[in-house]
Amino acid sequence: MRMVRWTLGGAALALAVTVAPACKSAESEAERPPAPPASLDNLADDVDVVPHAILVDFKDGTTQAEFDAWEADWGVDLELNSVESADEALTLAVGVDDVQGVLERIRQHPSVEAAEPLMEVRASYTPNDPEYTRQWNLKMIDMPKAWERSRGKGVVVAVLDTGIAYEDHDDFKQVPDLKGVKFVPGYDFVNDDEHANDDHGHGTHVAGTIAQATNNGEGVAGVAFEATLMPVKVLNHFGGGTTADIADAIRFAADKGANVINMSLGGGGYSQVMANAVEYARKKGVTVVAAAGNGGRARVEFPAAYAGAVAVSAVGPEGSLAPYSSYGKELDIAAPGGDKRKGDEGGILQNTIDPRDPSRSVYASYQGTSMATPHVAAVAAMLYAAGAKTPDAVEKALYAGAAKVADQAWTEQYGHGLLNAEASLASLGGGMSRWPPLYWALGLLAFVLLTLRGRERPGYLNSLLRPAFLVPLLLSTVGVYFVRTWFVSSADVTGSVVEMASLPIPDWERIIFGRRTVSPLFYSALIPVLLSLPAIGWKGLRPAVGGLALGFAGFLAYSAWAGAPALSWMPFTFLAKPWLGFNTVLCIVVARAMLKKEDAP
Amino acid sequence: MKLSGRVVFRDVETGVWVLEGDDGTTYQLAGGDRKLKADGQRIEAEGDVDRDVLTSAMVGPVFNVSSYRFV
Repeated sequence: MRMVRWTLGGAALALAVTVAPACKSAESEAERPPAPPASLDNLADDVDVVPHAILVDFKDGTTQAEFDAWEADWGVDLELNSVESADEALTLAVGVDDVQGVLERIRQHPSVEAAEPLMEVRASYTPNDPEYTRQWNLKMIDMPKAWERSRGKGVVVAVLDTGIAYEDHDDFKQVPDLKGVKFVPGYDFVNDDEHANDDHGHGTHVAGTIAQATNNGEGVAGVAFEATLMPVKVLNHFGGGTTADIADAIRFAADKGANVINMSLGGGGYSQVMANAVEYARKKGVTVVAAAGNGGRARVEFPAAYAGAVAVSAVGPEGSLAPYSSYGKELDIAAPGGDKRKGDEGGILQNTIDPRDPSRSVYASYQGTSMATPHVAAVAAMLYAAGAKTPDAVEKALYAGAAKVADQAWTEQYGHGLLNAEASLASLGGGMSRWPPLYWALGLLAFVLLTLRGRERPGYLNSLLRPAFLVPLLLSTVGVYFVRTWFVSSADVTGSVVEMASLPIPDWERIIFGRRTVSPLFYSALIPVLLSLPAIGWKGLRPAVGGLALGFAGFLAYSAWAGAPALSWMPFTFLAKPWLGFNTVLCIVVARAMLKKEDAP
Repeated sequence: MKLSGRVVFRDVETGVWVLEGDDGTTYQLAGGDRKLKADGQRIEAEGDVDRDVLTSAMVGPVFNVSSYRFV
């Protein structure tokens, strides 16, 4: 009898220990102002209207009975937002079909202080580059939010173009807004040397869109500004190049570790040599992105038209196809390329060299499918940084996130739709699939059981199949996610809050510190070890801590194996896997100690 | 080969001079001399079309002008 009580106590405690911080952190997430402070004109970008949901604030002292009586007239079901809001009478209703109509009716009621659509405050990032406000293109593809998820760190993008003004060499000068950007050695296939400097102005502009130095108080921003650029010169000082050089360069980039190849170039006919090179790169895991062409006609230029390449068309600030942009049956996606018919502000602004003097830096507004292509290449880099492994996975996320044009799944003008970095990253689902950590944990459980001799082995019915063991195990591997399916209605109300709290325990620090941060302390054995200390004296706690430790072991082992996005946190990326491995072992040791039956001889 | 058409400056990419050919094709201009860059002028020109070259302008095949006259 005593034992039963202890086990029940353990289960309750386990739930309290694991759920209480969830509520607390979820609250702190909701109350936290969006960081960093956004300027006024960007505030609207940080707030999303939650569809079919309204927020009604009654005069203080209005009781539930009162608004329950009124809500039938309004055709909505109002609930207090929280226990705390009873005094202020702050209420929510979901499943509202005609939000505007209902709000107008509600506002006329004398007891209503305010009624408005429910809004979700999301963190977003505003770089301090002075000309950033002119970069309509970055807002169009939802960069302020996407930057909270990824900035392309560590991913190599090869720019096959006229070169990049990336170094001070000979009479070439690095342009100021590429200062601090990471580069890996490339090659100049036109002049056959190691210095792929730009003698034209095109390639530097394209590279700027991908990874212009950002938040450096200078010039403009780039899309994946923590990505690494590989300058590869294949076009001469007039902007022309041969299939031989380009095919050669594609293989070079793939062999030298590029993850993405950007080709803002096109022309010529079908070339088997180039088609093979594109296929080769793709087989090596490289995503190849190329421009549809500027002929303004229904023909996608090569290399964009090759099956293995992502073909990009261009749209202007209004989001409609730019007049110069080519399109056609091979088209995959559209991105902002500019439309200067109404002036230079409709173009894409980046730092490049003066075409008349390669040593002089200018901020130029260009338009072209060349300008659209690097937006897609950069988002591809962000997808790799966020955990995508293959070109197939990258393309899938690109197209899944693309904003559909006129509700069409695919069109000749826009392909799968208009690029959206935030939605594509979101469709990746954080890089780790939901269930594998649990399978890993169960596998490790089997391993732990094998290491215990018969009498030390915990019984299935009296410990392993108990909630005290299973609940912490599930919470630390798949999160409250498994609970959500049981309480669907409550999940509707507090959508994003539940979304956050449903993360597995090691990911809870993202609730506290924001989504980009992954703390090595949470991705470690720290929590199970700390919780195991009281369990030394208190045996009833042991199954719960055992479940938690096994869950952590499964989660950490799977993160290490999957090379999850979490691995970008360490100052030295190469330390991440050993760290996760070491902590997995610690967790297993804790789990074994917790599950071992003490009263065995 | 001989081509006729209108010389036009197109503000795409870093800017490009093209020949809007009477044959319905747009050619990216190369060769000739700097006076060829006369926006809106009709010309008759002799030269070679290079259909294999890839360019950053991507407006059409490159026409290397060897001689031309305004018409």
